[in-house]
Amino acid sequence: MIQQKRDLIVGNRRGIHGRVATRLAEIALEYDVIFRIQRGKKCVECSSILDVLALALVEGTAINLQAEGARAEAALAVAAHLITAQDDP
Amino acid sequence: MTSTEKDERNTSLSRTLRGIGVSPGIVAARVVVLKRQTMRAGWYHLPAEHIEKEVERFSGAINAAVEELVQVREKLAGDLADALSIIDSHLLMLKDRMILERTKVIIRRNNVNAEWALSQALNEIKERFDRINDVYLKERYADIKHVADRVFGLLAGREHDPLIEADEPVILVANDFSPEDTLRMQAGNVQGFLSEKGGTTSHTAIVARSLGLPAVVGIEHATSIFATGDLIVIDGSTGRVILHPAPVEIQRGQENDRRNRALAGELDRYIHLASETVDGYAVRLSANIEMREELPAVLRYGSEGIGLFRSEFDYFHGRRPPTEEQLLATYRQLLETMAPHPVTVRTLDVGGDKFLNRFPGNKAWLDRERNPALGLRSIRFSLYERDLFRIQLRALLRASVYGRLRILLPLISAPVELRQVRAILQALMAELEKEGQPFAADVEVGMMVEVPSAVVMADIFAAEVDFFAIGTNDLIQYSLAIDRGNQYVAHLYEPFHPAVLRMIKQTVDAGHACNIPVSLCGEMAGDPLCAPVLMGLGLDELSMRPAVIPRIKRLLRHARSSELQQLSKQILQCPDSDQVREFLAAALPNIYPKDFYQS
Repeated sequence: MIQQKRDLIVGNRRGIHGRVATRLAEIALEYDVIFRIQRGKKCVECSSILDVLALALVEGTAINLQAEGARAEAALAVAAHLITAQDDP
Repeated sequence: MTSTEKDERNTSLSRTLRGIGVSPGIVAARVVVLKRQTMRAGWYHLPAEHIEKEVERFSGAINAAVEELVQVREKLAGDLADALSIIDSHLLMLKDRMILERTKVIIRRNNVNAEWALSQALNEIKERFDRINDVYLKERYADIKHVADRVFGLLAGREHDPLIEADEPVILVANDFSPEDTLRMQAGNVQGFLSEKGGTTSHTAIVARSLGLPAVVGIEHATSIFATGDLIVIDGSTGRVILHPAPVEIQRGQENDRRNRALAGELDRYIHLASETVDGYAVRLSANIEMREELPAVLRYGSEGIGLFRSEFDYFHGRRPPTEEQLLATYRQLLETMAPHPVTVRTLDVGGDKFLNRFPGNKAWLDRERNPALGLRSIRFSLYERDLFRIQLRALLRASVYGRLRILLPLISAPVELRQVRAILQALMAELEKEGQPFAADVEVGMMVEVPSAVVMADIFAAEVDFFAIGTNDLIQYSLAIDRGNQYVAHLYEPFHPAVLRMIKQTVDAGHACNIPVSLCGEMAGDPLCAPVLMGLGLDELSMRPAVIPRIKRLLRHARSSELQQLSKQILQCPDSDQVREFLAAALPNIYPKDFYQS
């Protein structure tokens, strides 16, 4: 199983809100991977958008995004773009 | 018994109710009552052998809720991308382990009913969201609650979302329509609205007017009096509602409805045509709105921009004034949706009395006003409460990069006010530049011409602004000294008073002498009798409720500019409003068929 990680800074002006979290879950499905977001000591799976929302990832938050699955690298690239973008998907 | 037979039998039970008509039109249709489930989840203990049944009942409700949302999603038009993505997140929330798995765990572990377990799971989620500092993310809890309410409803045995089944025209009845309900309100088969709460400025009223559908508010206990399937007639002008109407009343309602549809069908042809006269003289027809939820209506009726965005809604929404980020989100969406067309945002325009009411911590609250129309309102209020004003202007400047923004300053009565605003804007631009925030340095700044002094001095003002917007509602009140809200003098409120028409003309001429465009955004702009006169007076833009745009465009497209100019020229010579009306009654039939300008 391939595992990839990347440190990212949340770019969206309103933080990781419902629409961004939803898109993240969709990317995981499309690429058949499991995403996890680590913020400080807390780590949540992105399949639960409520978990992701509750992390309160406002603009400028430093996170570590992990992807697990055969296409982890490609999925990570797409997700990183989503998270660091200023604009909504 | 068929529903028709049932209706016939019910005629004897015919009953008339009175509410407040907030959006004109008469329609007869069946009712769909939207009842919001309150979350009063009782607790009961279940014997061990019933637990798995209860888990199944809960899963069943979740699946039904998913099914409903999927169907709502399919019914929504493609131009509501935002709405679709909201539904997508709601779908994920329904199946989220914090709701789905957690509720099942609580049912099994505590041997309790699904409702109670779900409300416990919700409490746990709420606790986590309460700890969030960011206001925007914190407020997402409202979405979760909304999703859960759907499940509670299904657990309580509510039938499938009734709206989904209905293909025939319906009138929606609710206690109040929330912003989320706007999605349902725009479904194709919805022909009218009825609510228990609300006034002329309520969410229901605003959305109904911009969709051009009849609405009546303020019918107490409406959700108990009416049942889904009841036939009713509503009259959105008089506020009259008839339950189990007699056949003649139904017929009248349906005929009216048919006429409106035929007219709407005929007017639809104009939506995509250019707004210009036969000889190519263009007048921009734009929309007056006050909420983002009205954008679909703006697009539907072919508006070429937003001529007046009343920015007050964001301020009356919460308990505290909105943050810069909240305002930015609103303005940005407007600009992005309308680009490349202009979006004119009027800065906060409230009477000090009304506004301070909401924010009693405010200094001026202590000193209540005796004459609010002549008091601390509009731009005066903004220049007094500068911190609030700065937040709004910063949000506007930051939004300016997302489309074509025009900042509109209300109630300007002296040039010094303009200069003060300019100075604030310059300071804010310097601030944003230092922070590295992008903005359009050449953003257009204009003023409302709605105080007589602004008309008299229009030539001076025209050199200091990028555009004029004439606000006839206030201009008429201030120049004729009439308070429309006062029943004893309201009849003297007269758009066709020659003084008003001459003031419009003077403003247009002063603007054009300085090469700046002049728009008009009062109710006159959308009145089919007034619009031809305004076009003839040389206005560059008329801004009105979205739904009337096609009708006004038809008036424009069926005339020659010379005819309209001639008409206006002669009207300016009339000594009083009666003669203006007589003149119009004689002249308009030479230009248009009667039904073009008669209501």
